[in-house]
Amino acid sequence: MIRIEHLTRRFHELVAVDDVSLHIQEGELLGFLGPNGAGKSTTIKILTGFLPATSGKATVAGHDVAQDSLAVRRKIGYLPEQIAVPSDTRVNEYLDYRGRLKGLTARERKTRQDTVLAQCGLEPMRRRLLGQLSRGYRQRVGLADALLGDPPVLILDEATGGLDPGQRKEVLDLIASFRGDKTVLISSHVLAEIEPLASRVAIIAKGRVLACGTRAELHDTAGRRGEFLVGSAGPADVLTRALSAEGLTPAPADDADGDDLQLVSLPSSMAPEQLLASLVAAGIPVRHFEPRERSLQEIFLELVAA
Amino acid sequence: MKTALPSLLWREVESLFFAPLAYIVLTIFLFLSGFSFVKALGEGAGEVGRTVEIFLGGGHWFWLCMLLLPPLITMRLVAEERRSGQLEVLLTAPVRDGEVVLAKFLGALIFQCFLWAPTLLHILLLRNYGALPAVGQLVTSYVGLTCVLALLTSVGLVFSILTSNQIVAAAASTTFNLVFFALPIAIDEIGIDWLVSPLRSVSMFEHFTSGFSKGVLDSSVLVFYASATLAMLVVATRSLEARKWR
Repeated sequence: MIRIEHLTRRFHELVAVDDVSLHIQEGELLGFLGPNGAGKSTTIKILTGFLPATSGKATVAGHDVAQDSLAVRRKIGYLPEQIAVPSDTRVNEYLDYRGRLKGLTARERKTRQDTVLAQCGLEPMRRRLLGQLSRGYRQRVGLADALLGDPPVLILDEATGGLDPGQRKEVLDLIASFRGDKTVLISSHVLAEIEPLASRVAIIAKGRVLACGTRAELHDTAGRRGEFLVGSAGPADVLTRALSAEGLTPAPADDADGDDLQLVSLPSSMAPEQLLASLVAAGIPVRHFEPRERSLQEIFLELVAA
Repeated sequence: MKTALPSLLWREVESLFFAPLAYIVLTIFLFLSGFSFVKALGEGAGEVGRTVEIFLGGGHWFWLCMLLLPPLITMRLVAEERRSGQLEVLLTAPVRDGEVVLAKFLGALIFQCFLWAPTLLHILLLRNYGALPAVGQLVTSYVGLTCVLALLTSVGLVFSILTSNQIVAAAASTTFNLVFFALPIAIDEIGIDWLVSPLRSVSMFEHFTSGFSKGVLDSSVLVFYASATLAMLVVATRSLEARKWR
């Protein structure tokens, strides 16, 4: 549904987007992660036709964003990072105006407005002036606007900025509900938000996509470190000594149940089965032995640091 | 092909008319125009045609309004939206840049025509002097007024697009207008013969004093205003698209 190929955008000497390629399938929800200034918003501005690329190509629903920008804009619902709405307009009037711009008929505008106001929890704010709304509610109005035309593609730039934790959960649940139905590109620098939401994640820093894939694929991209959590039914110091005897440097770690575990990093020359066999042979009553999954945040930080 | 122009235009008109500032401007304008009309009555010495001539195109007040009003009305049209980020929201909707420019231009022009409309009531007061001005003179004066407003509005719009600072936009378009008004007069005064004739042909004073105010409608002058306004609107559209070249 969205294809980005070798996209580059320069602002004089600054390369904001550097040879970015991404493919997003129909119905897929892709998280676009990166620190501030990574090039996420510039990539999104190119996709929405607001900025052109210096080189490369991008298509949305088969339409070239440079050549056929109007057709692309008919297919997308866009929530920009900075929500800017006219303060002297009421929520329903604003959405009606935006519906007109999107080519909706009067009946469609009414139906869609009711739907998106309910979806975004804006029903009580329908007649409020936009200037009187909190940043969180204005963000919801921006999201309602993006959803108004029932577009097949949603491009959401920092969709939860300015929302309190409760509102953030509601918005993220709403976005998650589009998975499979709409193609969603959601950018964020808050990794914890994207991790449970996105089917795939693209990590971008300094304008370049460092990795793209499911969390398992990102593990492979970042390189598995061979970290294992080991727990024993016996005394903790006996386990620590046994691990040290194998030439490892155990570090205390707690699991979710609060058990005392030791985190060890296996050298590439040592297979996990070999370590387990050695511990059992040394008489350690091993009751916990599992590879440690790194969080998306850790993978992200490793990739960005690299 | 469906156009977003009516919706964009309605929004522009709404935002101009529903803003309190509009009514402050209208009040000040009415006060000044009333004052100017009284002066024109005095200078016209009871002659209806001469009074209209002074009131519309012959007096300082008229040209001061032309110099200042279009920049004041147009300065915020795009500059403010660019600064606040609303321009990005607008231009990522399925609308053409040309439609946005045309809607903003027409909205500002309609608002200014609304400001000038009550001056017709002043002129109707001339009935008290026993006569109304010739319909032809009235029509050409207001046609001329609309032509000049259209051109200056399109100039103001270009400057509003080129900057995100309203004050800079207003100052730049006022300066442009000032040069545009003053240059033909200055060249005439200095006496650079080869420049006098071409500059006179584009002089707004000249168009009014020897044409519109006297009930004369010269088609070449109308073509000049139409083409100059169109050219400025093309420049405005290209300027809006210039974000894509940077």
